[in-house]
Amino acid sequence: MAFVIAAPCIDHLDQACIAVCPVDCISHDPAADRKAYIDPEGCIECGACESACPQGAIMLDRRLPPAWAAFAEIDRGWWIDPEWARDAVDAQAA
Amino acid sequence: MIAEIAGRSIAGGPRGVRRAPDLADNAVLVARELLSPTVARLVVRPDAGVGAFVAGQYLALGVRVDDGVVQRPYSTASDPAAADAHEFLVRRVPGGALTPRLWALPVGARVRLGPPKGAFTLVAGDQRPHLFVATGTGLAPFLAMLRTLARRPNPPRTILLHGAASAEDLVCRDEIAALAVGGLPLTYVPTVSRPDDPANRGWRGRTGRAETVLASVLRSDDLPPVALVAYLCGNPGMVAAAENALLILGVAPGDIHAERYWTAPGDTSAPGRMLDTGRA
Repeated sequence: MAFVIAAPCIDHLDQACIAVCPVDCISHDPAADRKAYIDPEGCIECGACESACPQGAIMLDRRLPPAWAAFAEIDRGWWIDPEWARDAVDAQAA
Repeated sequence: MIAEIAGRSIAGGPRGVRRAPDLADNAVLVARELLSPTVARLVVRPDAGVGAFVAGQYLALGVRVDDGVVQRPYSTASDPAAADAHEFLVRRVPGGALTPRLWALPVGARVRLGPPKGAFTLVAGDQRPHLFVATGTGLAPFLAMLRTLARRPNPPRTILLHGAASAEDLVCRDEIAALAVGGLPLTYVPTVSRPDDPANRGWRGRTGRAETVLASVLRSDDLPPVALVAYLCGNPGMVAAAENALLILGVAPGDIHAERYWTAPGDTSAPGRMLDTGRA
């Protein structure tokens, strides 16, 4: 169980979530990424990021609407294989 | 692994090994003081020093469990200008993942401390009267803020309204009194929300939930609500109710700053979030 950053973050990247995450489990590569990613292994579900996001892009994985369900795997995948995650984000944004 | 995303194949799924963050122990528990049967003050000194932080911010405090770290955010009560360690108010949550371990940890034990985070901080240079409303261990960031304000040559007028179910959880009263004696123009209003509880027999102070006594506190202190800035910290139920009460009294929405500590009881959508899981 973890928070997930879904489609509204794409190409916005406000980064308020990164500023408030107490366990530093949100990241992105500013030179390559269109969104930020939450590490589900590190997320403690404190909800600070959800409150901070001006786009309303962040929600618990179990609350993701079906259209954004893939973002749970995309966020998890970025911490393993960023290129794969970027391709997956591009597919979502297409 | 997903084979298809939005109709496009993302072949093979992610490949590689997860980049694990560095969660090495980097601080030491230097003191633990029982303030009430359920609330303790933990003092934690980072190996590299406290560094820069701002009153009102929080840090993740964690202990090693098996091959991982269980960590939760706690607001620091320390004065950024004077601290060589972080002081946390921790409520023990029976069965919680972290707090029973923190209570059992020997002084001198190694712990994990994250960086200071959060934007629940004082507005620089604001000389309007400051109203602080806390429940339980939500007092912690306000101790840091009051200590910060007390160092100003001309500190603003301050009111601290602290609510707790039990009088014994109205902790740190000596420190608060010392701030007032030291020159900070501070009105301290403790209130007990369960006066009929046998544990509160003998309580002669104000009674009622923090949000319900707000209006009378402002009246008795002759403070026009439109002239103040408010900071709220504690359980989300209090924060929401106090915010609503202040808006009705005429405080501008932009002058109400809030930090929510844990999910309201009954919110099963996020079980346990921010409650030994959190800064409670």
